[in-house]
Amino acid sequence: MKKPNDQAKSKLPGKSLNQPAKVTIRKLPSGVRGLDDILGGGIPEFSFNIIAGPPGGGKTTLAHQIIFENATEKHPAIYFTVLGEPALKMLRYQQLYSFFDQSKLGKAVRFVNLSDIVLEKNLDAVLEDIVKQVTLLNPSIVVVDSFRTVVRKAMATSGEMEMQSFIQRLAQFLTSWQATTFLVGEYVQEEMRDNPIFTVADGLFWLSQVPERNSVVRKLQIIKIRGQESVPGLHTVRISGAGLQAYPRTLGFVLQNKKPARRRRLSIGIPELDKMMGGGILEGDSLLIAGPSGTGKSALASQFIAAGLRAGEPGVIAIFEERPKGYIDRADSFGLDLKAPLKEGRLEVIYLRPLDLSVDETMQEILDAVERTGAKRLVIDSLVSLEMALAPGFREDFRESLYRMIVALTGAGVTIISTVEVEDTFTGFSFSHYTISFLTDDIIRLRYVEIDGQLRKVMVVIKMRGGNHSKDIREYVITSKGVVVIHPRSTEYHGLLTGIPTKTGPQVAQKDEASPEPKAQK
Amino acid sequence: MSRVIPKLRDFAERLIAYETKGNKSSKTKTPAACLASEKLRPHLATLMGNIGFRALVSRVLVLGAADVPWLRAVHVKADGSFEGFEELVAQVDPNEFLEGCVVLLSHLLGLLVAFIGEELMLRLVREAWPELSPDNVDFS
Repeated sequence: MKKPNDQAKSKLPGKSLNQPAKVTIRKLPSGVRGLDDILGGGIPEFSFNIIAGPPGGGKTTLAHQIIFENATEKHPAIYFTVLGEPALKMLRYQQLYSFFDQSKLGKAVRFVNLSDIVLEKNLDAVLEDIVKQVTLLNPSIVVVDSFRTVVRKAMATSGEMEMQSFIQRLAQFLTSWQATTFLVGEYVQEEMRDNPIFTVADGLFWLSQVPERNSVVRKLQIIKIRGQESVPGLHTVRISGAGLQAYPRTLGFVLQNKKPARRRRLSIGIPELDKMMGGGILEGDSLLIAGPSGTGKSALASQFIAAGLRAGEPGVIAIFEERPKGYIDRADSFGLDLKAPLKEGRLEVIYLRPLDLSVDETMQEILDAVERTGAKRLVIDSLVSLEMALAPGFREDFRESLYRMIVALTGAGVTIISTVEVEDTFTGFSFSHYTISFLTDDIIRLRYVEIDGQLRKVMVVIKMRGGNHSKDIREYVITSKGVVVIHPRSTEYHGLLTGIPTKTGPQVAQKDEASPEPKAQK
Repeated sequence: MSRVIPKLRDFAERLIAYETKGNKSSKTKTPAACLASEKLRPHLATLMGNIGFRALVSRVLVLGAADVPWLRAVHVKADGSFEGFEELVAQVDPNEFLEGCVVLLSHLLGLLVAFIGEELMLRLVREAWPELSPDNVDFS
């Protein structure tokens, strides 16, 4: 829509004050979690919609969810079944969904079979019966399932003009009758160009199943919706016992809290590391801890969560490899009590091994846990295992979705630590094999170094977007208290980050350590 | 051996007793005892279409005829209604005739339970007999 420019405004002073109100289009809830966000608020009342897609995409289930969400005795819904799934079968299976409210059947939701008329008569008779039933029941919602079969029959016996006329008359009648209409049909996208039904429709809901190697993920696209802004693109859909659930690409995440204007420094739970970070991690930051296996990334993340819990900040740990019990037990061995907060609901450990899940569903699980607990701190341990847990075809979406989730969460003031495994090479110093620096405000790199004939560990703060930080490379150990930063920066070695530093300071005599190998001791 | 579930049979008997009582001066040709199945027809035909309903009652008739031999002489018309009761009521022993109607209705209710469950079957029964008190459609 064009915005009036300044010149126009000056010519029509006070116009906006006296302008009659525009139409208010009420939006009906779809009854499908996430779908209203995708639609831009819900289904426009009195709209004429198509629910299309191949068999098994969830079209009928979507239509049922919409009618059971909205139908009441005062504002009933009428569901016309045509040639397709027999009504008894439909009831047999649809009643298994939790949204299927049997008490609504009969008065609020009424099923009418049109198959005899479609088979035996012409389009006029079909329209006549629909008009008769709609006039009789005065429904607020009308569904015709499957409309495709009506069209097929009609095209076989009538011309295209008759078909177009039928669709036009049907749309006009149902809209005038103040009914929100859904025509359910099995279509392929190529048909959209030539089929008049797609031109007439106000809304076009396209359901599909996308196979990728051994995985299949359901997708929903709102190809068209008149009068409101929908979220473009393909959105993941899952069908469970609760019916369809949609996962908007925006993740539909609007937390009450917003990132505070004055952000605090939060303790990571390792005093020396807090100092290295200029007093701690900035509230609402996303911190990446990169390092090879065994360098204490998970221990550090647990310390961060435990420090938050001690400060009264609920937390969420999302893990994808290690089981929650093992994770909690290890934290326990560091003297970090995560069991009590877990019981009290201040901490949630979500373990996701969702093969075949799309990244959006995984992100939604994490967001739900953050909302449930009111978490201020989140650990994703680790990004590599999160990616591995996704269906192969959806790993391409990984960075994009992760970015959207991190932006949404940090924007709401949640502080995030993500861990990532990187290989230590002796020629380079990578932070990660992903290009993920755009995801993070801060980066801490852990690595192994060979010092005095021992494999030790060092850490360095690589980047802090929100302020200055120590440039020191500090040695640390993992003790019964978790990660503990020990010595101040070493000035006796050069090339620590290569992993094979050169000693530049004085040689200190050291006691020989007994070899642990029994054979070597002989 | 009859496949009629006893509690469905009991329910069918109650419905037929109610229908027989209320239709002493029935204007239809169908004997009152068999009107109970007939009363469900418009509701089920709206839901399933005549073709669907006809398929369902054809199955009911096959199941019923296995239990009550005289039902073999009954046929199903295109609209799903039964044909032949009017003639058979004069030829069959009244108790046997009643038994046939009970068995047919029991099988019809039984098929509905098998396909859509007890609760939805009861909803259909309540639609067909809205005047019935909750006690009469108690299925527990």
